[in-house]
Parts: sequence; structure tokens; C-alpha cells
Amino acid sequence: MRSVYVVLRREYLYRVRNRWFIIGTFALPAFFVGFIAITAIAEGRRANRDREIPIVDQTNVLYDLVAGRLDSGFEPERVAATAEALEEVAGRAREGSISGYLVLDDETLASGRATFHGKTAPRALSRIRMQQAVVRSALEVRLRAAGSGAEVEDLLSGGAIDFETVSDEAPEEGAREAGVAAGFAAAMILYFVILLYGAMVMRSVLEEKTSRVVEVVLSSLRPWELMLGKILGVGAVGLTQIAIWALTAALGLTVGLPFLIAFRPELANVRELLQYLPAVGGLVLFLAFFILGYLLFSSLYAAVAAMCSTMEEAQQTQLPVTMLVVLPIFFISSIMEDPNSTLSTVLSLVPFFSPILMLPRYLGGAPLWQAGLSLVLIAVTTVGVAWVAGRIYRVGILMQGKRPTLPELWRWVKEA
Amino acid sequence: MTSDAAIHLEGVTKRFGEHTAVHDLHMHIPRGCIYGLLGPNGSGKTTTLRMIMGILHPDEGTVSLLGGDPDEVRRRRVGYLPEERGVYRKMKVLEQLEFLGEIRGLERKDAARRAGEWLDRLGLGDWKAKKVEDLSKGMQQKVQFIATVIHEPDLLILDEPFSGLDPINQDVLEDIVREFHRHGTTILFSTHLMAQAEQLCERVCLISKAEKVLDGTLKDLKARDREGVVAVTFDGPARWLEGPEVAAIERADGGVHVLLQEGGDHQAILRRGVASGAVITRFELVEPSLHEIFVRHAGEEAVGDAGLPQDYRMEEEVS
Repeated sequence: MRSVYVVLRREYLYRVRNRWFIIGTFALPAFFVGFIAITAIAEGRRANRDREIPIVDQTNVLYDLVAGRLDSGFEPERVAATAEALEEVAGRAREGSISGYLVLDDETLASGRATFHGKTAPRALSRIRMQQAVVRSALEVRLRAAGSGAEVEDLLSGGAIDFETVSDEAPEEGAREAGVAAGFAAAMILYFVILLYGAMVMRSVLEEKTSRVVEVVLSSLRPWELMLGKILGVGAVGLTQIAIWALTAALGLTVGLPFLIAFRPELANVRELLQYLPAVGGLVLFLAFFILGYLLFSSLYAAVAAMCSTMEEAQQTQLPVTMLVVLPIFFISSIMEDPNSTLSTVLSLVPFFSPILMLPRYLGGAPLWQAGLSLVLIAVTTVGVAWVAGRIYRVGILMQGKRPTLPELWRWVKEA
Repeated sequence: MTSDAAIHLEGVTKRFGEHTAVHDLHMHIPRGCIYGLLGPNGSGKTTTLRMIMGILHPDEGTVSLLGGDPDEVRRRRVGYLPEERGVYRKMKVLEQLEFLGEIRGLERKDAARRAGEWLDRLGLGDWKAKKVEDLSKGMQQKVQFIATVIHEPDLLILDEPFSGLDPINQDVLEDIVREFHRHGTTILFSTHLMAQAEQLCERVCLISKAEKVLDGTLKDLKARDREGVVAVTFDGPARWLEGPEVAAIERADGGVHVLLQEGGDHQAILRRGVASGAVITRFELVEPSLHEIFVRHAGEEAVGDAGLPQDYRMEEEVS
């Protein structure tokens, strides 16, 4: 076991000290954070300008109703319907201190049409919100004039389609939406890291083989010690990187998000979505699927590298393995569409697909026992795959020359 | 018989497809000796060493090492320098040696201390913190050699240890090998440089085309071939030198060395020479060099270019 640790330690330190690891680990989140911060600040500036909305009410009855409905995200300002006031507000729009102003007139009361005066058209989202506020206010005025009173209040607030589950398992709707989003994200991240670190194991094994240093190392180590140490070492690098990224994300959510919301109040509901994120359970499952999925695929990648002698050869040979990692990504949409369909369930229980498909399903509402079952299935498969891969590795790593054919490979596995 | 052996090969054969790389090889290497495995390129030296190291498995025959479980012995008590020099190119020199020392069972501190001492001794003290890829080929080879001996093995197996080194560093390495020998380490090395082997070895095994040609102590081999090589200096045509008793003729000592076939009669040559009218100024039995012994027993074509500079041979005159 000491030998495994020595190999692990070398692999880990060598990779963690590598310039590209440091750049990849810290630059990537920094890039994202920087990107978000810059757009948030730019957006914040613009949003500030967009929020201020002078309203010229020529009907004298609409302003309060419209302003009340524009409460969040806008700062309505009453402008008297005089020629001077109009001139003044038009001037502000021209010089750009406001993006424009809204004029309500009799036509608004009659048909719900109002006019926005500005240099450029308002953004789609603002336009829809203004439109809703104006139409509902006009409706309210007309209904009250016709004698209907408070009883239509609720209708005017916009209505909703509520959801009530008929199943015992499905989570509440907000959670489901958050689950779908988190599921997609989890699948993409798992896909990315498994591929990234699997390929890293492949490169590392191949490097040792092509430089022939493996002959020196294997005069003192058993092949399985070298293979295991390497896989664990690269895996530890992966966990380190994920931990740093997760920490950055947590920092972003606790510190960065309030900062972001300060600039863009309309993003406030992101925070509400966050509460649905299955924080601890989701993270534990994420790590479990990463670790098992990584072990499963990295042993395959190690075997691929051991049977090849050049990088080009390895690039071709790895294709079937990489396909196994990529394939689930094609199913991810249909799985998120209906996490509990038979197809989704079956696909996500296939051990080679589980690492990527099961977590999104769980986040999308699949029962926990299925996640547990898939972990057991992956673990069992990993033991089998590692046994075969270990034998291929043992024979292949010291063999130079032609890549083995399938029958030869089979002989390696039997004879090793 | 095997108990005093550091390495004992019993009828070892290795085939690669149709090609037999090593055929029915018996080799007995006593503990504590310096043993040379000699032969031209492609004769099976590296394959033999790789089988001793367990990198290849013999198709037939057995390998035993220091009388113990070969796998265990290899991992802890053997230092192996492969023919193809592999290093972790991107690792720093000292860290690399630390790692290689550690996997051979040294504590990290110990490995670091020994690596430092060796690097200083071999003039690489200033390169400890440099990446291996920044070193010259010769320096890398020294680093590899350190890695081979850092755990003070009982048995050193060196595949062409001197190739690629300049004469000064070859001498440095030879001195170190002798030093290990004095401390009782058994040393087996392969080379195609006969002269080198002659300086260093107590025992040799000559192989050619996958087969052993002969083996034994250097002294015995030379004694056995005492009447096998004649140094000749003469003026005139050279045709008379050729004959059925001659295995090969090579330029040496300002004249030629005539290598006799097994049991060849040197007087027959002399008679031919006198009859041809050549002016013979020297005709003398000399102690054969290792190279000459090899040529006598394996034939010139079997030896190939084993360790001789091109102009050493006498192509035109002989053919």
C-alpha cells in the first residue's frame, strides 16, 4: 500500500504544481466571476437608467394604478400633462439620463395602447411588463366604471395555473424547475470532469509507456500498484479542482449574488430558486457519482493507453470509451423532460450511463433508492472493469509495437 | 549449484512470432562477480536482460535470482538500467530520484540525501532543482544511473550502460561499477563494446544470433585460445594469408592479426607465406583479445560491427 501512496503522491504533486492546473483551476472561476461581475455592473448601469420611468398621464385616472403595478423593477415618476413638463422629460430622454417615458391617453383607456417615447425601443421584458400594467389598469378603470368593484381584483392581478401533484413522490413545482436546471448543470459538469480526468489518466499512462520510464518503475512496483496509484493520484487532482470550483461557487452565491442582485433587482427570484437546490444531499451524490464514474472510466482509459504506443493510436482507440461517456448527453433532455418514464429509469441504471444520468434524474424527482441502486451497480461494474483493465494494463504497459487485435486482447485478459 | 548463483538461467528460450530472440540459453552468474553479456546488436542481449527482469516471460526455461522469489528480489534488491533510457522529463532531478528511491523501499528523507550525494559526486549538484528535460543526454543518463543504484542493490543489471557517454564519463561510470564490485555487488551488464568488457569483466558470455557461443572467465577463455591468434607483419601481396585454417584477418598492431579456425595450424600459413616470397618480419602467437575470441568462435559475420571501428577490418585485402 505504501507503494500505491508513493505513486499517488508523485502523480498528485506533479499535476497540482503544473502551471496549467493552476491556470485552469483559478483562471476559470475567476473568468466566470469576472464576466458575471462586468456584465452585472454594465447591466446595473443600464438598468438604473431603464428603471426610472416618467409617466405622463393625460387621463388623470390611470397613473396610480399603473404605478402600483410597476412596483418592482421600475421607479415610476408622475409627470404633469403640461407642455413644459413634457418638453423637460423629452429633453431628459434625448440626453440619455432616462431611456424614455410613457404617455397614457384616452386611447389607452379605450384599447390599452400607450406610447413609449425614447431613443430606442424598450427591452422586451420591460415592454411586456409595462404592457401588462397598462392593460390591467385600463381594464380596472373600465370595470369599475361599469359597476364591478373589488370582486375583480384577483382576476386583474393576472391569475395563475396552479399545479397539484397526483403522485406521492414528485416534488413541488419550484423545486422541480430548480431540479431540472441543476440536473442539466450537474450532468454537464460530471460529463466534463469524467472526460477531463479520464483523458488525463490516459495521457499519463501513455507518457510513462512511450518514455520507457515504466520499465524502470515496474522493476520496483507491481503493475497494479502503479495503475492504482496513478488513477487515485489523478482522481485526487480532480477532487482538488472540484473543491476549489465548488468553493468559488459557494462564495459566488453567498457573497456574489447579493452583490449581483443589488445591481439587478429583477434577479432576486434566483435566490428563491436557490433554496430548492438539494444542497448537501446533492453534493454528496455528486461526489459519489464523480468518484465512481471516474474510477470506472479512468481504468478503461488506463487500459487503452497501455495497449497503444503513440498518442495518435490512443486517440483512435479511446473512441469506444469516450462514446460511453458522451452517449448519455444525448439522452439528457428527454430524461429531464420526464425523469420517471421507463426509458429514463432504464437508461439511468445502465452502469456506464449512471454517472452522468442518475444525478439529474434524482434532482428532477426520481427516488433516492434508485440513485443508491445505481451507485451499487456502478461499483460492481467498476470492480469487474478494473479487473479486466488491470490485466490488459499489465501485459500492454511493457509491450511495444503493434496495437493488439480483439482476440489478442482477450488472450491478454485470460493469460495475464 | 544454484545456491551460490546471483543469476541462474536454465534453458531459457524466447520467441517473437516466427523469430527466436533467445534460444536455450544457460547462464550461471556467481555472486559478487562482474559479468559481461556480449554480442552484436540484435543478438538477444536485451531480450535476455528483460527476461531476467521479468519484463518478458520466457517461453521455455527458468530464471532464478539470488535464490529467492524472483519478483520479490527484483523489486527490492536489483538495480536495473534499461537500454531505452526512460525518465520523467518534466520532473525535477532531485524529485525524480526521490520518487525512484522511494518506490524501491527507501524513506523519502533517505532517498533525498543519497540522491543529493550522488548528484554532487557526478557533478550534477547544481542541477538538482532543474527539470530533467533541461539536462543533456549524458547528464540524463547519469541521473538514470543514480536511480539504478540509489537503493544500494545486491545485483546490478545494466543494459549498455556506457553507450552514449563520452570517454571521461565512461571512466567515471566504470570506477563506480568497480566500487560496487568491491563492496560485493554482483554486476551483470550487456555491451557490444568488447574492449570495454575486456577491461571490466571477470566473466563473460558471448551470444550471437540468439545462441550462446561461449562463456567462462576471461582468463580461461584467453588460455583456451592461446594458440588462436597470430600477429603478422610483412611486405608484399597478402594472398598467402588466406587458407582453410583462417577464420578472419584483422588489421592490428601496425600489421594484421590472423584469427585461426578451431585447431587451425599456424605453421601452414607460415609455409605459404615463405613460399609466396613475402618478406615476413613478424610471425608471433599473441594473447587474443575478447573480440578475436568471439570472431574465432562465432565467425566474422556473426560478430558484425561489434565494437570495432570501421577501418579495423580488412575488407579489400581479404576478399
